[in-house]
Amino acid sequence: MGVIAPEDLSTRRPAERRSGSRRTAVSSVAVGVLLLVASVAGFYTVAFDQQTVVAREEVAQPTVAPLERAIRTAQTRLKGVPGDYATWAQLGSAYVEEARVTADPTYYQKADGALQKSLALHPEGNDAALTGQGALANARHDFAAGADAATRSLAVNPYGATAWGVLTDARTQLGDYAGATEALHRMLELKPGIASFTRASYDAELHGDVTAARSALQQALGLAAGASEAYCRTYLGALAFSVGNLDEAETQYAAGLKSAPDDPTLKLGQARVLAARGDVEAAVESYQAAVDARPLVENFVEYGEYLESLGRSAAAEQQYALVKTVRQLFIANGVNDDLSTALFAADHHDPTTAVAAAQAEYGRRQNIDAQDALAWALHSAGRDAEALPLARQATSIGGRNALFLYHRGAIEAALGMREQARSTLTVALDTNPWFSPLLAPRASALLTSLGGRS
Amino acid sequence: MLTPERLLHRRGRTATALFAAGGLLAGSAVIGLLPTIAGASSHREAPLIAADPAVDNTDVYAFSSPKTSDDVVFVANWIPFEEPNGGPNFYPWADDAEYLINIDNNGDARADIIYRWRFTTDDQRDSKTFLYNTGPVDSLTDPDLKFRQSFTLDVSTDGGASYGNPIATGPVTPSYTGHASMGSAQDYIHNLRTPAITDTAGGGKTLATQADDSFFLDLRVFDLLYGGNLSETGHDTLAGYNVNSIVLEVPKSQVAIGNDPAANPVIGVWSTTTRPTLRNADGSSADSGFTQVSRLGQPLINEVVVPTGLKDAFNAISPDQDATAAGGAVVDRVLDPEVARLLNSIYGIPVPAPPRYDIFEVFLTGIVSNAKVDVDGNPGTDNPINVDLNSQALNAGAATFQPSEMLRLNMSVTGPTGLDMKPLAKASRLGVIGGDIQGFPNGRRLADDVVDIELLALAGADDANNLGTAAPLANGDGVSRNDHEFSDEFPYLAGPNTEAVNQADGRGGAEHGAAIIPGGSASSGGVAGTLIPALTGGAALLLLTAGGVSLVRTRSVTRQASAAPEV
Repeated sequence: MGVIAPEDLSTRRPAERRSGSRRTAVSSVAVGVLLLVASVAGFYTVAFDQQTVVAREEVAQPTVAPLERAIRTAQTRLKGVPGDYATWAQLGSAYVEEARVTADPTYYQKADGALQKSLALHPEGNDAALTGQGALANARHDFAAGADAATRSLAVNPYGATAWGVLTDARTQLGDYAGATEALHRMLELKPGIASFTRASYDAELHGDVTAARSALQQALGLAAGASEAYCRTYLGALAFSVGNLDEAETQYAAGLKSAPDDPTLKLGQARVLAARGDVEAAVESYQAAVDARPLVENFVEYGEYLESLGRSAAAEQQYALVKTVRQLFIANGVNDDLSTALFAADHHDPTTAVAAAQAEYGRRQNIDAQDALAWALHSAGRDAEALPLARQATSIGGRNALFLYHRGAIEAALGMREQARSTLTVALDTNPWFSPLLAPRASALLTSLGGRS
Repeated sequence: MLTPERLLHRRGRTATALFAAGGLLAGSAVIGLLPTIAGASSHREAPLIAADPAVDNTDVYAFSSPKTSDDVVFVANWIPFEEPNGGPNFYPWADDAEYLINIDNNGDARADIIYRWRFTTDDQRDSKTFLYNTGPVDSLTDPDLKFRQSFTLDVSTDGGASYGNPIATGPVTPSYTGHASMGSAQDYIHNLRTPAITDTAGGGKTLATQADDSFFLDLRVFDLLYGGNLSETGHDTLAGYNVNSIVLEVPKSQVAIGNDPAANPVIGVWSTTTRPTLRNADGSSADSGFTQVSRLGQPLINEVVVPTGLKDAFNAISPDQDATAAGGAVVDRVLDPEVARLLNSIYGIPVPAPPRYDIFEVFLTGIVSNAKVDVDGNPGTDNPINVDLNSQALNAGAATFQPSEMLRLNMSVTGPTGLDMKPLAKASRLGVIGGDIQGFPNGRRLADDVVDIELLALAGADDANNLGTAAPLANGDGVSRNDHEFSDEFPYLAGPNTEAVNQADGRGGAEHGAAIIPGGSASSGGVAGTLIPALTGGAALLLLTAGGVSLVRTRSVTRQASAAPEV
C-alpha cells in the first residue's frame, strides 16, 4: 500500500486547495485517506520495528554449530579440571567428527592427543576413549585397528551405540559384510537416529536394495540439520545417480545446495549430473569448485577424466599431474591411498604400480572396493584369468555398481567370454549409462564391438 | 583456481616445509596442500556422533499434592541447560518421540500404568523467516506466534502394548523467546502458561511448558572424581537455566492397585523417552516402532553407574532387567558405590564397608522391613533400614517383589511428617535423613536437596542432626535451595528464567561452573549424545545413593545413642 506523505499535499498550489466545497470535501476525503494510510503505514512501521526487536533478541546467540560449541565448552572445562578423563574422551571424538565435517586432517592429531590423555588418566574400562580411538583409526583407514578398538570398547560397554557404529564401518571396509549388518542391527536397536539410519542406508545399497537405502536416508533427512543434512542430500543424490535417475539426483543436490551452497560433495554430485546432461561449462565449473575445496586424488582423477572425455587433453593432464603430487603428499604424511592409486595407474598405462598398490590394499582388507581395484589392476597387466574371480566377488553381494560391472565385462571380453561380457556390459549400462564420462563410452564401444546389447 | 600460496596458507606447517624443501613440489603449477585423509574413494564417512538433547531426561519428581491430599503429582523434566537467550532454535519437544511417565504399583518391576505425551508441531513460519514469532506474543493463539506445539496425552494399562483414547489434548507453552516477545516471567505465566493447563479425563490436570530448572546443585562438588575436592561449593550450576517440564496431577486412585490407595499406597515411578526405529520402505515398522533411548528414576542412578559404561545400558533397559542386564552390573555398582570409597580416601570419612545393602534398599527395593523384603537374602538379619516406608511390597495387592531401580513414593504421607509419625510444621530439605519422612527418598519433592542427602547417605550418615564422622559433609554442596521459589499450586514450578546466562562475549558460562558436567555424560551416555553440555538429574553426579540412608525408626524402636552408621 502506498504511503502518501504529508508533503505531497503541501506541494499543491494554493489555488487548487482553496477552490470550492467540493474540492474541500475531496480534500477532507483525501486527508482522511491520508490519515488512514498514514496510520496503516504507521502500524506496519511499528510492527516491523517490533519484528526487528524480536528478531534481534531471537538471534542474540551467535549461531555456532553444536559440534564447535561442544569442543569449546570441553576445552574450557578441561582447563579447569584437567583430570576429567571423560571429557577428554568426548573432546577426542569431537575432533574426529570435526575432521570428517571439515576434511581438515590436523584434527586427527588433536583427536589422538585427547584420547591418549583420557586413557592415561583412566586406563581401565574407558569405553568412551576406546570408541574414539576406533573412530580415529577408521578415519585413517586402519580398519583392522578400528574394529579392534570398537570390540574392546564393547567388551566394557556392550550398549555403546557409537562403538557398534565404529564396528559397522570397520567391518564393511574389511569386507565382513555379514558382521557389519549384525553390528548395524545392534546400533539401530540402541540408538535409532541419523548415525544409524545413514549406515542402514549404505548397508542396503551395498546389497542392492535401493528402495530401502533411499527410505533410510529419507528418514535420516527428517532428523538432520546442518552438516548431516548435506550428507543425506549427497547420498540421496548419489543413490539416484547410481541407478541413472538424473532428475532425482539433480533435485537432491539442488535441495542440499540451497542450505549449503558451498558444500563440495554436493557440488561434485551436481557436476556429475551436469556432465551427464552435456552441460559442459557448468559441469567444469562445478568440478573445479569441488576439487578446489576437496583436493583429493579421486576428485582430480574424476575431473581429469571428464576433461579427457571432452578432448581437453592439456587440461586433463594438468589434473593428472596433481594426482601424482597429492599422492606423494599423502605418502609424506604417512597415509597410503592405495585404492585410488591402483585405479588411476590401471587407467593410465602403469600396470606395475597398479598391481602393487592394489595388492597392498587387498592385503589389508578384502571388501568389494579392494577386490574390484585388484581385478582391474590385474586386467591392466594382462592377467585376466586372475582378475576374473575377483571381479566376480566385487559384484556378488547384491548391489549393482556400474563401474564394477564394466570392469568385469571388460575382463570377460578379454578372456573371450563374449556372451557373458555382452550380458555384463548391458547390465552396467542399463544400471547407469552415465557412470563415467570417459569410461561409459568405452563400455558402450566395447559392447558394440562384441555384438551389441544382449 | 588453486594457487600454491592459498593452499599452503590453509594447511600449515608440513606443506610449507615440503614447499620450502623445493622437492617434488617445486615447479608444480599447483601445490597440493596436505591431502585430507577423510573422504578417500568409496569410503563414505557417515555422521557418527549426534547429540539428542530433546530426549534427555533430567529429573523426575513424585509427591503428594500439597493442596489436594487425594491427588499425586508427577513432574518430569527434559533438555537441560536451556539458555533463556536460546534463539534461533529454542527448545521444542521432539515431535517424533514419546515422552513417558511409567508407574509400577505392584512391585513386579513392570509398568502397570504408562502416561504418554506426544507432540505435534504447527510451524507457520514461511521460508523467509526462522523467527518463532513475528511480534509480541500475548496469548497462545496470538497470530504472531508462528511456531506452536500441541500435545496429546494417553494412557496404557497393558505395559505399552496399546494405548486408550487420549485423556487430554492441549497447547504447549512455547519456549520463552525474549522480553520484546513475551514480556516478563510473570507475563509468560499469565499469558502462556496458565492458559495451557489442560484437564485430564478422570479428574486430573496436565501441562507441558518451559520452566526454571528445578534442580539445584553445585556440579563442581563432583570434580572429586577427577582429582578435585569439595572446596568448590556454594554455586548453583543450574541457576539461570531453563528446562522443558511436563507436570501431571491425578487422583491417587488412578495409579494405585485396584484404585485403592489406602490399601496400596506405594507406587514406583520412572520416566523414559523413545525414538522411532528405522521404518521399512513402505512406512511400516517391524516392531512397536519405538526404542527407549533414555530412562530416569532416582536422581543419581545414572551417575552411580558412570563411568563404568553402564549408563548406556541403563538408558536402554527397563526396570525388570536391572537385576540381570550386563551381568548384574547395576546391582554390583549399587552394593559397592565408587563415590563412597572416594569420600573415604579423600576425606578420611569412615564409610560403611560394602556390600551396601542400605543403598540397595534405597535404590532397588524402597525402605522396607526384613519381613516384607529381605534385601540381603539372609532372613536372620534385619534390613539395614528396617522400617516399612516406601516399597510396593507393602501394598495389600502386591505381586511377587522384583528389585529394580525407580523412585518410590508412599502416597499416604500427605504432608511433612516426623519420624514419630507426627506432622511437622515445616518440610526438611534433607527428607528422611532430616527427619521428614515425606521427603526423598520417599518420592521426591521439588525442594528436596538430593545432593546433600546423597553425600550424607554415602558416608553412612543417618541423621542430619547427628552427623558424627560425616561432619565434613555437613555443608554438602553448599546449595540448599533452588534459585527460584516453587509454588504450592499447580504446576508448582517456578516461571522461566528470562535473562541470558552466557553473555555474547562469552562471559557467564564459566562463572556458572561451566556448562559441562564432570564425566560429561547426558543420560544417553557414552560418546554419542554427550557432546552438548548436559546435566541430567544425575549425569555427572557420580554419587551413588539415592539418599536417605537414615535410621528411620518406627515408634517402637528407640534411636541409637551413638551416631554410628548403620550397616
